[in-house]
Amino acid sequence: MKHVIHLALGRTDYARAYALQHELHRMRCQGEIGDVVITVEHDPVFTIGRSGSRSNIRVSEAERERVGIPVYEIERGGDITYHGPGQIVCYPIIDLRDYGRDIKRYIASLEQAMIGLCADYGVEATRRAGYPGVWVGMRKIASIGVSVRHWVTLHGLAFNVDVNKEHFAMINPCGLPIEMISLAELTPDDMPMERVIEGLLGHMRQLFDWDILERDVNEYWRRIDG
Amino acid sequence: MEQDNDNYLRLPDLGEVDEVTIVEWLKGEGEGFSTGDDLVEVETEKTTFIVDAPSDGRMVRITRKEGEKARVGDPLAELTS
Repeated sequence: MKHVIHLALGRTDYARAYALQHELHRMRCQGEIGDVVITVEHDPVFTIGRSGSRSNIRVSEAERERVGIPVYEIERGGDITYHGPGQIVCYPIIDLRDYGRDIKRYIASLEQAMIGLCADYGVEATRRAGYPGVWVGMRKIASIGVSVRHWVTLHGLAFNVDVNKEHFAMINPCGLPIEMISLAELTPDDMPMERVIEGLLGHMRQLFDWDILERDVNEYWRRIDG
Repeated sequence: MEQDNDNYLRLPDLGEVDEVTIVEWLKGEGEGFSTGDDLVEVETEKTTFIVDAPSDGRMVRITRKEGEKARVGDPLAELTS
């Protein structure tokens, strides 16, 4: 069993969480800390991965600025995606050398955790060959985008609990003309974010053989804020 | 020539991954590097992976260009140590 620290950031601006991820990645690479898993709900933001481009933003710059959604070009794999309130974003910062050095297996485990989470709510979700992420029929409920440097992971997954579909409609998610869907559209269950996060971490705990320790994020924010 | 392990940077074993795409070379031909320096960024399965330098050396010739595919063990560049 591996000890993993969970940092629950709550609602956090993308750039601030990005800075924290990078500081934790540096610390993990240098052996100052063990594995960490961040959960966060971002303010609305578009992020573009290394194989993406701004051409997948379907609205004009003026319209995007009017709505007030910033764009960040980052180092993860994949194309463009949206993060916002009502979506669980999870960033495991773990050393894959301790998990069999297998990128495909890591991605499959992230997908499996979210498929299990859907099943907890009575929703049948699947993988689609060649299209990483989690799907309910032809609609996508969760996205994956990861970066690995010195075998330590950055970025991770985004799971739609109850997101703003108008924001998603401003882009071609993952560069594809696909429709996104939220868990809330598929089940009448009441689902506070904290409980869904707990459910997701429960599946990750099983799949990765984790012993999860809760930690106050403030001691880590102090490293970013000086 | 490409059989000579010592003189080539090869795509490391990334597990069950079939193939990767070369995204960007982070060192150019003729540039020197130290152990652990970032050399090339590759992408597969919505994941980018940085291949770092196995030892100190210099980049002689890039054999797999940006946008091209590579499999585990394929030579990506010729190096000197």
